[in-house]
Amino acid sequence: MEFLRMFSGDLINGIILGAVYGLMTMGLSLIFGVLKVVNVGHGAFIMVGAFIAYWMFTLFGLPPLLSAILALIVGIALGFFFYYVVMKWLLEAPELSTLLATFAIGIFLAEVAKAVWGPDYRGYSWNVGSLNLGVTTIPMAKVYALLSSIVIAVALYLWFKKTRAGNALRGVVEDKEGARVCGINVEGYYALSFAIGIGLTVMSGVFITLFVPVGINPYMGEVYTIKAFVIAVLGGLASPWGAFFGGFIFGLVENGSYAILGLIPGVEPFSLTQCLAFAILLVLLLLKPEGLLGKK
Amino acid sequence: MLKIVNLEAGYGPMQVLWKISLNAEEGNVTALLGPNGAGKSTTLMSTLGSIKPWGGEIYFEGKDVTTLPSHKKVEMGMTLVPEGRHVFPNLTVRENILMGAYTKRASKLMKESLDLIYTLFPILKERPGQKAGTLSGGQQQMLTIARSLMTRPKFLMLDEPSQGLAPKLVGEVFETIQKVQSDMGLTVLLVEQNVDITLEVAKYVYILHEGTIKAEGTSDTIKHSEDVRVAYLGI
Repeated sequence: MEFLRMFSGDLINGIILGAVYGLMTMGLSLIFGVLKVVNVGHGAFIMVGAFIAYWMFTLFGLPPLLSAILALIVGIALGFFFYYVVMKWLLEAPELSTLLATFAIGIFLAEVAKAVWGPDYRGYSWNVGSLNLGVTTIPMAKVYALLSSIVIAVALYLWFKKTRAGNALRGVVEDKEGARVCGINVEGYYALSFAIGIGLTVMSGVFITLFVPVGINPYMGEVYTIKAFVIAVLGGLASPWGAFFGGFIFGLVENGSYAILGLIPGVEPFSLTQCLAFAILLVLLLLKPEGLLGKK
Repeated sequence: MLKIVNLEAGYGPMQVLWKISLNAEEGNVTALLGPNGAGKSTTLMSTLGSIKPWGGEIYFEGKDVTTLPSHKKVEMGMTLVPEGRHVFPNLTVRENILMGAYTKRASKLMKESLDLIYTLFPILKERPGQKAGTLSGGQQQMLTIARSLMTRPKFLMLDEPSQGLAPKLVGEVFETIQKVQSDMGLTVLLVEQNVDITLEVAKYVYILHEGTIKAEGTSDTIKHSEDVRVAYLGI
């Protein structure tokens, strides 16, 4: 009974964390889907968002929900900047060039963060009460993170399906030559997608801080880069919606396995959980390389 | 309507076009014939701006459009039916057609264009919800032509519309092209390898070979010129 109570608590937490993971990966998938660029520096943009949340909160008492809006704007600006300064020139180059370039951008951001803010681990706590669900108690901060992630994902979905720009972007994703002859500014939509993708990523960094009480530091991004890759593959790589649902799956596996692994004597569940997630990635890549939700 | 002067273009270090010049007269079908690798597609792609010309000038309705990005050219009334069709495979037939009305000018005329297209291509009206990728090759070719008409072009470039189609369908596609051209008063620049049908529909023909224009003339002249036929067309 005690186990079931704990387990269902873990699953609920898994769903909440999963939504944030999903949001965290949507930008990666959007950029890959449109530009066919794998952003290896993904995690560094999450780090930028985490620092925005931290400084806004500690300096001005700004709640993370408001920092998220600021982070989106900063992220979009960074996205346009790195697109026009770096990515634009590499789109015709071999894949290795874009991989190295995004890798370099990631290191650059982390080193700038270290130079400016130092290497320390930082954290803050946004205390806005908690929600008692019987099996577990969840801080309201995390509930807000869950709701915000869902709202953002739905908004992006509607933008994609219902607006002129969203439709044009679908055309660019489907066939860029086809889009060009329809009069769609393909390069303009590359820039916009990169900017929105980075914007979403930086914003997700704000929500990530609600799950890592003292984990904010210049190099925090790496683990999220890797997690986002797993989630993106789960969701079929090129689809932001696939990524969002992949996030839920990953969150559930990560949290759910925690309780189960804890039952095995002599096992330290925390480190093994990380292991398990990547074991799943390997198995998935072997059995269904197009991703759980991906198309062949 | 379209005038190309000394156009040079290529990919990476490889030059494909060597100072070619041609003229597409308003209201006519002009054709560019030549074997594979002659530079026909490169000519069309650099004219629309999918690839950047290395040199030379392109004039559209008297305006120099050489360096203009392709979306601006489409807004001005130029478009291309690309080689290999390039439909949006996971979008529906209707979504594909409507994508053609993306530019501001075309979106204002969308209703009217849609009526026109559905009269020309009744098959597309019958299956609005079908994914474009599941259509047959001929239907996809019709869809690409329909989509290009939605952009309300004055000047339409067609890149090997007969490619990969059964002979019966080739006839159908060309009938459609001729009908559209005369109904809408379009100026057409047609790129083909299919010599017979091209000489039938085109008024003026350029022969492109290894990146240069080797001969030009009215269809009749080309048809009866023994030298040109043997040397470049192989018939």
